Amino acid sequence: MLAAGAHISKEKDLNAHIEAFVAQIKRRQIQGSYNVALATSQLLLRVLSAARWTHIDQLVTQIKVLGKRLQSAQPRELACGNIIRRVLALIREESEDTNDSESGDGAINSPLITSMFSLLSTNDEYGPNPHSQSLYDGTGRSIKKDLKPYIIEGIQELIDELRSIDESIASMGVEMIHENETILTPTPNSRTVLKFLLRTAQKRKFTVLVVEVFPNDVEKTHEFALKLAEAGIETTVITDAMVYSIMGRVGKVILGTHAVLANGGLLASAGAAMICQCANVHRTPVVVCTGLYKLSPMYPFDIESLIEVGDTGKVLEFEDGSLVDKVNVVNPLYDYVPPESVDLCITNMGGYSPNFMYRLVIDHYRQEDTTL
Amino acid sequence: MTLSETTPLKLPPDSVASNGFDIVATYRRFLREDPDMTMPVAAIESLVVLLSQTEPTTASELMDILAKAVAELKKGVKNSISLSAGCDMFQRFVLRNIQEYGDWEACRRHLVKNGGLFLDRAKASRYRIAELGLPFIQDDDTILIHSHSRAVTELLLLAARHHIRFRVFVTESRPTAEGLSSAKTLRDNGIPVRVIVDGAVGWAIQKVDKVFVGAEGVAESGGIINRVGTYQIAVLAKDSNKPLYVVAESHKFVRLFPLSPFDLPNESPAANTFTTEQEDDEIQSSPLLDFTSDNLITALITDIGVLTSSGVSEELIKMWYD
Repeated sequence: MLAAGAHISKEKDLNAHIEAFVAQIKRRQIQGSYNVALATSQLLLRVLSAARWTHIDQLVTQIKVLGKRLQSAQPRELACGNIIRRVLALIREESEDTNDSESGDGAINSPLITSMFSLLSTNDEYGPNPHSQSLYDGTGRSIKKDLKPYIIEGIQELIDELRSIDESIASMGVEMIHENETILTPTPNSRTVLKFLLRTAQKRKFTVLVVEVFPNDVEKTHEFALKLAEAGIETTVITDAMVYSIMGRVGKVILGTHAVLANGGLLASAGAAMICQCANVHRTPVVVCTGLYKLSPMYPFDIESLIEVGDTGKVLEFEDGSLVDKVNVVNPLYDYVPPESVDLCITNMGGYSPNFMYRLVIDHYRQEDTTL
Repeated sequence: MTLSETTPLKLPPDSVASNGFDIVATYRRFLREDPDMTMPVAAIESLVVLLSQTEPTTASELMDILAKAVAELKKGVKNSISLSAGCDMFQRFVLRNIQEYGDWEACRRHLVKNGGLFLDRAKASRYRIAELGLPFIQDDDTILIHSHSRAVTELLLLAARHHIRFRVFVTESRPTAEGLSSAKTLRDNGIPVRVIVDGAVGWAIQKVDKVFVGAEGVAESGGIINRVGTYQIAVLAKDSNKPLYVVAESHKFVRLFPLSPFDLPNESPAANTFTTEQEDDEIQSSPLLDFTSDNLITALITDIGVLTSSGVSEELIKMWYD
């Protein structure tokens, strides 16, 4: 009786926690893909510690339902869905591993080699598998008991990965930036890019041009430039309008991004697409620094629905009342950068061409989880 | 999806010849009797029928029989690119099973027993493609399709069933005029269609939001071999910055690396000669296929996922070199 009561209060506790998280992302109290990813994985850790299930499908459904709820709370914060899909893939993988080792014939049970062959192969190729039935009855209990610590361990690894992402990306800086090179960065709000530049500055001497990105990131630009200058990097802040004229002198454009889509396209802060186009015209390489948690299995089916529109007051202040009445003011926060504009994506797994991103998607997510 | 119950293949009645087995005739009959069957699958099914009628005594005899039949089939059918994808995959599958498990007799039994299953799966894969491709179609889209492709049609019909409202430009696609049959199918299912002649694609392209084409074969580079006219549509789409999606089953991936349409096997040679004489049946000898290179293709929608063109070579390498 007492134990049951404790369980109920625990569940209530968890529900309140989820509720609070949903409210926080709705109100943008948790913002930025890194913070959202971290918070989501920590929430999932709690959910899984409290979760009870008799069959793995139940757990998957539970997580999917939760995922749907979180995603609809803030559909443009793709990192949240990405983490949930990563965890789902983890759960499926762990359960399949257990099944294989329990039944002892994983080699034959697993579909033969490649997906192209899936037209011809069947799982019961050489007689029915005597063990396949046992997974769902007696042994089900023992699988469940085994699985939980593994999944929790997996999520903890994911959190560790998130925390060390900037480090592993920054360590590639020395290969990317040459001595005396001029770098242009249009995303001063990116922690990853900041660390990347600061770390590389320890070994290389280079110039950074920071684009102001009016109106959303002006203050951040100044902070960003200050940090670089303090680290001894020669830093110049330029206005957005100057980008094209100065591009001829730039060696590389390095940008951070909000999300990477499955086709290698980016959702980066507004203005990035234009700057990438300028870079393309001058044949200046465009390098993107991104953690894998930003990689979404989505395709840009409908670009407009992915782009968030922000505070118009930043473009036209309310004091300009006479103008406000007469013009439409829009302030999109993101830009869609097509994959053709990007030359290289540096992730914590290494550097990849944007048209390889679909492969990373297949490696890290399960196709059945693409729609939560 | 578990399709554990076995579905033996229904044999076309007179393919069971007493002495010689005519693989080309069997192949043709399969295609004729089931308009939904693709060429690679028909080739696979013909090979299954062959296996069911032969009693090889060794593994190498089995492979030899298959190799001969494949050669005969490729020689006997004029347009053999697509079917060679099926043949290659089939041979490779048998070979790998023999190498992996050593039990070639069991492999033969498995293939013969499940002949009908492959066909069902191939059809199911077309439905799976449609499901994967569904989000690519949105309300108020104007779509351009070329010629007749079962995979594309399936996708558009699924979208219509999901109450997505879109319009379709269909090219007539000379000289086969297969576009007309696409147009009819779509109109029968309530999709508004406008048929245009192939030459009008450039006129229409500005109004088009996206282009969908099928493929007869998908080459290793990720480029496609398809009904003639696809290349020029792809060039126009690229020029006006419209996405071009290829909708094709993964069993159409073929180990070819053409650089131009002239690298394709047995394409009508007459089209490449010039004459001062007036010819009556000139149009008939015009080429039926062309090659669209991978840089013109936005993405391939296949049953193994939405791939960029580099994904094709990866799948092929996995199959042949792993």
